[in-house]
Amino acid sequence: MLNRIGTLFAESRDLTLDRLQNDSLIIEVAYISTLCDESKVSDFILVPFTKQEHPFEDLVKRNPSFKRLDDPAKWGDTLLHGFVLLQLNGMVYKLDAARIIRNENPQTMVETVIMGPQISLSEDLIDSINIVRSRYPSEELAVEERTVGTISKTRMLLVYDKHRVDATVLGLIRAKLERISDPFYTATGELVRSLGDRYRLFPSMMVTERPDRVCSAIEDGKVIVLLQGSMFAIILPSTFFDFLHAVDDDYDSFWMTRAMITLRYFAVVLTITLPALYVAIMSYNPELFRVQLTFSIAGSRSAVPYPSFVEVFIMLFMIESLIEASVRLPKYIGSTATTVGGLILGQAAQQAGLVSSIMIIVTSVVAISNFVIPVNNMSTAIRFLKYPLIVPAIFFGISGVTFGVFCYLVYLADLRSFGKPYFRIFGRRQSQSSDVGQVGR
Amino acid sequence: MKILRITLLALTALSFAATAGCGFRDIDKRFFVIAMGIDPADQGAKGYKITLRLAVPSPKVEPGAGNNQVVTMEATSIAEAVRLLKAHVDKEFDFGHCKLFAVGEKLARRDYTDILRWLTRRRDVQSIAYVAIGQPDAASILKVEPKSERYPGNTLFLMFGKDGTQSSYLVPVYLFDFIRRYREHGIDPVLPLIRADKDGYAITRLGVLNKSKLMETLTPGETETYSQIRNQDAKSTVAAVKNGNTMVINVDHIATHFKIANENGEYVLRLWLNVSGIFEEAPLGVYEEDWNQLEALFNQQIASEIKKLFKKMQQAAVDPFGFGLRYRATHPGTEQTWKDWQNLYPDLKFDIKVRVEIEGTGLVK
Repeated sequence: MLNRIGTLFAESRDLTLDRLQNDSLIIEVAYISTLCDESKVSDFILVPFTKQEHPFEDLVKRNPSFKRLDDPAKWGDTLLHGFVLLQLNGMVYKLDAARIIRNENPQTMVETVIMGPQISLSEDLIDSINIVRSRYPSEELAVEERTVGTISKTRMLLVYDKHRVDATVLGLIRAKLERISDPFYTATGELVRSLGDRYRLFPSMMVTERPDRVCSAIEDGKVIVLLQGSMFAIILPSTFFDFLHAVDDDYDSFWMTRAMITLRYFAVVLTITLPALYVAIMSYNPELFRVQLTFSIAGSRSAVPYPSFVEVFIMLFMIESLIEASVRLPKYIGSTATTVGGLILGQAAQQAGLVSSIMIIVTSVVAISNFVIPVNNMSTAIRFLKYPLIVPAIFFGISGVTFGVFCYLVYLADLRSFGKPYFRIFGRRQSQSSDVGQVGR
Repeated sequence: MKILRITLLALTALSFAATAGCGFRDIDKRFFVIAMGIDPADQGAKGYKITLRLAVPSPKVEPGAGNNQVVTMEATSIAEAVRLLKAHVDKEFDFGHCKLFAVGEKLARRDYTDILRWLTRRRDVQSIAYVAIGQPDAASILKVEPKSERYPGNTLFLMFGKDGTQSSYLVPVYLFDFIRRYREHGIDPVLPLIRADKDGYAITRLGVLNKSKLMETLTPGETETYSQIRNQDAKSTVAAVKNGNTMVINVDHIATHFKIANENGEYVLRLWLNVSGIFEEAPLGVYEEDWNQLEALFNQQIASEIKKLFKKMQQAAVDPFGFGLRYRATHPGTEQTWKDWQNLYPDLKFDIKVRVEIEGTGLVK
């Protein structure tokens, strides 16, 4: 066995191949030392083998941690997943001794709430399942294991409630998982793309780190995908409404959370349409404003040398760079960037006559209302939507914006998430009573 | 299939080019017309003298910061005059914020119908603009520059709109209402009369027009009565005289309704006016007096005023209250009905019942 493994692997220092001998037996042990917990290896194999208190052969046979692995073709993969291979009397056993480096008990960072679980899913599958199972203690919880990625062979779990899950959705997901053939998966986002979200304007799968969101999704009959090495789970199918629903909405005061939901929809509309409306109203339909506003805008714009859409592009470029910069920068410098960008640049751009003061307000409203969206991947998707809308605004004014918004609505209504209508706004129904006949594309 | 879809989408998008309004022009490249004056051409020439009051926007909004530019042009038609005026300014005219169309009194007395041809058709003229008659002419109204204006035209907007002052002597008339009354059988247009008053405007009278010209002007008192009956204007007063003392009631609640009744072959217009309110001005000791008697006094004096106003309208052969429209609405919709009304209006009798209710003296006893 050792020779064979030796030839299988490239020259790597951390591949440990040992041949051991005691009074009666010769065993061969192979493992990758960097992937394994060496104390486990010595506790389970080396110590009992050398002490010889019990016959080692019996020990291996009785302990269920040792599993037979007869197919030599699987040796390489098994070693790479942190297993120890042990050959004894011509038979090969595997023992899980994986040591995984991960963040310990991480706090939620992306989707924070005030009053709610503060712990997030773990980067290790075992811990994640632990968190999910302890919050969803039901014998109906099914956990299916697979690997994705032809090279990465990343372990992946499908978690769902056997009783509540929609069989057609589950079938669709399984079929899609069979079909994907990308070599590498390191983050859930890649899996989301491969599962069919690549060119969509709106995400049809929710990516979340919150265990409470995951559990309520399981309870709704949805399927959860967990990926080894990523603390984010994928929830599918998801509707548009789910993305605008924060977990706080179920924890806080009823009326205020309803008001907040309304506010979020309003914010979505604003962040998508406002830049386009600015162009349309400034350049085609200034009679839309009250006369006071018209005159003060006309006054503040008179110093601006460029047409309104250039102004919009300048400001949007600035705000997008600012957001991008504050994501990329280390946390300690991040706040400096926002101060410099937001306060100084904004004020200076207006005083220099590059943009009008109303445009500064428009830009900040667009940015702030974008941050109101609770789920990050929806927020990013929405961030893009304002750009295509500016084009019809430049050429056709208000009627162009209306047409663009209409197109978005039609597109939304046409979308399906794993066979479920995506734009069903009041869609928190049980999966059993959900509609039929819509087949995923 | 996909190609077909994309072609369809492109075609739809292209069709929008046809529906879009005027070209791409930024807000600061437009001249906002805030008021337009229409006078007959000078020295009896054919055509119009158009005066435009243009706003000069400024980023500062403070009292006295409103700057105006007034331009005037004579031409045979309004459209031509506007087109000629464009050659005198550097930016495109935009009537989207034109809130006042002032018609010169001379033109109103002669024939106002031609100006509607332009007002109804021009794309950016708003139907919610106000129409008024300028005295002695429209140009003089536009040249007034009130000192307190925060931004151009604010005084006019506040006077006509509901945001600022609300006077019972000012009956704002929208363009759409003016056009409606011009076209509709059975109701005639009214327009407020504006006079320039040093650094401001005075709008206290109402002009009553028939389908083609100004027929009669109402006094301020009659204007208030009109407003009370037609608009049920609660921001008004009613007055009566007793022993030489004028008593004024501030109206809290006002309701009118009328009916055209046929009594023994004679048509009678019955009008009920219910007013309740408290004294705003009255001699001392009014609390001790018999309020029923006071109310009766009010009833009788107000009724006679209303009757006088109705008779005046009847003699001028105009119908600003829409009695004819009510008659047409409650009778068969034929041509004959309208002819009948035209015959019977000059002999229509009026029966006016006023019920004033005094709610208080305006003082705590």
